[in-house]
Amino acid sequence: MKRPVARPVTPERDDAEPARTPRAFEPNAVTVTEADFESVPPSDDLVSPEPRRIGWVGRVLWTAGGILLSAGLALAAERLIRDLFARYEWLGWTGLGVLGAFIVALLALIVREWSALRRLRVLDQLKADALTAIATDQPAKARAVLSELEHIYASRADLARARQSLKDNAPHMLDGTEQVHLAERLLMGPLDARARTLTAASARRVALVTTVSPRALIDVAFVIYESIRLGGAIARLYGARPGFFGFWRLAGAVLAHLAVTGGLVLTDGVVEQLVGQGLAAKLSARLGEGVVNGLMTVRVGIAAMRVVRPLPFETQKQPVVKDFIGELANVTQSVKETP
Amino acid sequence: MAQSPTTIVDEIGIALANIADAATGTFTPTLRLGVTGLSRAGKTIFITALVHNLLTGGRLPGFSALTEGRFIGARLAEYPDATIPRFAYEQHLAALTGKPAEWPESTRRISQLRVVLRYQSTRWLAGMRGPATLNLDIVDYPGEWLLDLPLLSLSFAEWSAEALERARRPASEHEAKAFLDVLGGIDPLKDANDVDAEALATAFTQYLRLSREDGRALSTLPPGRFLLPGDLKGSPALTFSPLPPQGHGVRSKSLYAMLEHRYEAYKDKVVRPFFRDHFARLDRQVVLVDALRALNAGPSAVADLETALTAVLSCFRQGESNPLSRLVSRKIDRILFAATKADHLHHTSHDRLEAILNRLLANASRRARFAGTETKSLAIAAIRATREGEIREGGETLPTIIGTPAEGQVLDGVTYDGQTEIALFPGDLPAEPDSVFESDKPLALNFLRFTPPQKLDRNASGDAVLPHIRFDRALDYLIGDWMR
Repeated sequence: MKRPVARPVTPERDDAEPARTPRAFEPNAVTVTEADFESVPPSDDLVSPEPRRIGWVGRVLWTAGGILLSAGLALAAERLIRDLFARYEWLGWTGLGVLGAFIVALLALIVREWSALRRLRVLDQLKADALTAIATDQPAKARAVLSELEHIYASRADLARARQSLKDNAPHMLDGTEQVHLAERLLMGPLDARARTLTAASARRVALVTTVSPRALIDVAFVIYESIRLGGAIARLYGARPGFFGFWRLAGAVLAHLAVTGGLVLTDGVVEQLVGQGLAAKLSARLGEGVVNGLMTVRVGIAAMRVVRPLPFETQKQPVVKDFIGELANVTQSVKETP
Repeated sequence: MAQSPTTIVDEIGIALANIADAATGTFTPTLRLGVTGLSRAGKTIFITALVHNLLTGGRLPGFSALTEGRFIGARLAEYPDATIPRFAYEQHLAALTGKPAEWPESTRRISQLRVVLRYQSTRWLAGMRGPATLNLDIVDYPGEWLLDLPLLSLSFAEWSAEALERARRPASEHEAKAFLDVLGGIDPLKDANDVDAEALATAFTQYLRLSREDGRALSTLPPGRFLLPGDLKGSPALTFSPLPPQGHGVRSKSLYAMLEHRYEAYKDKVVRPFFRDHFARLDRQVVLVDALRALNAGPSAVADLETALTAVLSCFRQGESNPLSRLVSRKIDRILFAATKADHLHHTSHDRLEAILNRLLANASRRARFAGTETKSLAIAAIRATREGEIREGGETLPTIIGTPAEGQVLDGVTYDGQTEIALFPGDLPAEPDSVFESDKPLALNFLRFTPPQKLDRNASGDAVLPHIRFDRALDYLIGDWMR
């Protein structure tokens, strides 16, 4: 038989914190722990940072590879000229002359490519600057953007009037945002309209060719060809002069843009696409394919516009796939009517 | 107890007038723009610049309807109310473009104008009908009268208490002494007689006039008609003054009862019709504030300005409006608070001016936003009288404005003759808006008044182009969305 036992189950109370009596101190003796907003300099750059460039290992790799390759080429050229001289002297001189011409042409090409790449970078930078000017509303920043735009479009005869209007009005505006908006309205407005026309025309051609072409391979080739042509045309329209490498960069940017916005397509006219496809497909499978390929071209055009346009879309409406549905519908209509 | 500024009869009248408007305005809607501002805030200049810019398609890059090519043109039209004088736009413009150019005279009576705007809408249904028209109704009036609006919700006793308290402040001792002496010599409970009433009213008017000229208590001086009586001069409705509040049971034949009766008559016959006809049915409102003049005068003037603006703005009908509710009750759905005369400052100080303006109108704009009204603050100049420059002095670069000070303006002991052009650095506005109320550290500020621009650009058709600061944005905010 066990005895009744009682054990306390509440844990032993640990010593309560001694209540602290209120006291007052001299303010000088206190170390201020409050975070001081002033001490953190406000970030001047309100635009997202650029993606990371190539790392140093990669840079060393490419540089060393480049040096080796150039050295090999230089050696080969040297040996060739020496051989030519060994054969006949006049042949050697001719070879030297041709090599000189080749090098000069190569240099010219490099300069052109370099300037084209630089122009693309300038356009990118300009867009970032414009965003900063709009965000901070500083007239000095906006003025820098405006003078850069003026420089880019200085040789464009079609924008002469718009440039003059901008020059007349901008000095009277004291807000950065307003100045950039004015520039967008005046300069980008007409360019946007022409870019739209180019895109619509391209899409129409693609739709038409796809509908009537006998083989799928021809479609694919034509879509690629039209996309390249459209991208180049839009880039030239906005003031980029893409050379060979510049074009690859541009194409990469457009593809990246398409990849990123691919998800957004769900909100941008996907219903119309499906409906269009469904309707057209009922009429004819080829017609449906034509519409789809046309829409693809439209997307390429829109992506190219977004990539090369030197100002962000603020006052002007961003083009969306929906805007071009009507054009494509017209094509399908006309194809249907022609027997 | 605060009373409603209108009576039931007024309300019915307002609703009927709105319905009539809606009936006649089915095809040509009317936008009533209330240009609100105390005296010398720049109402007349604002209206003149607005009308001129719309008529001549001025340099307004920020006015979207014009820049986007939707605005076709404007013309002046007959105002529907035939009993009210027309706004003298041509005379005001002539003064501004004359040689020498001068600011228009200050407004002494009410006037109005209707501008018919022609534009094409971008909305597809409205755009398909072709060009549309919009009537823009504007009223100009002496700013002094605006101060009467708060009286509508004050009884005689409440108003007297307020007015006497203000008169007895040490700051206004000099101006109010004569009036207080007269008041002290008269027993308010004695039998009513016109001699005493007139003596009181004369002394009171004199007090109001003195304190206006002094320029310190520039804003809080109701009743406004005492200063600008128009054709009511000498009528009983303008012959009263505040009296020390009395308890209950005042004899109906006493002086107090008579003046109380006249005060009520002033409210009923003078102030309420003014309010009902011009302010109870507004769609948009721009509140012009001359903060620089108050800053020149010192912290007490700034505090006065805040009180006056808050009281005046609480009389307006603000709130969201939709096409259905507009049939019977019009409400102000957008208010623009504009700090005028921004050309008296370098543009780098404009954001500080806007901050001070926001501080001055904090109560009023909180109330408006609560009612569902959109508000926006801008530092503007309807007509820009200065250019900007920089000056190097003692290793410091000072942002200055370049202009010709008006005749009689004084700075550092130099009196200007209205001919010499100077570069002025008016001092830095405080970064903390609250410090304009602090009387212990006076701000080193001095804003001069400038003459209007003497040489104006002309556009292709020979019309003067009025230079301005952000006036296009103000216009876009006020009427831009009606022309979309």
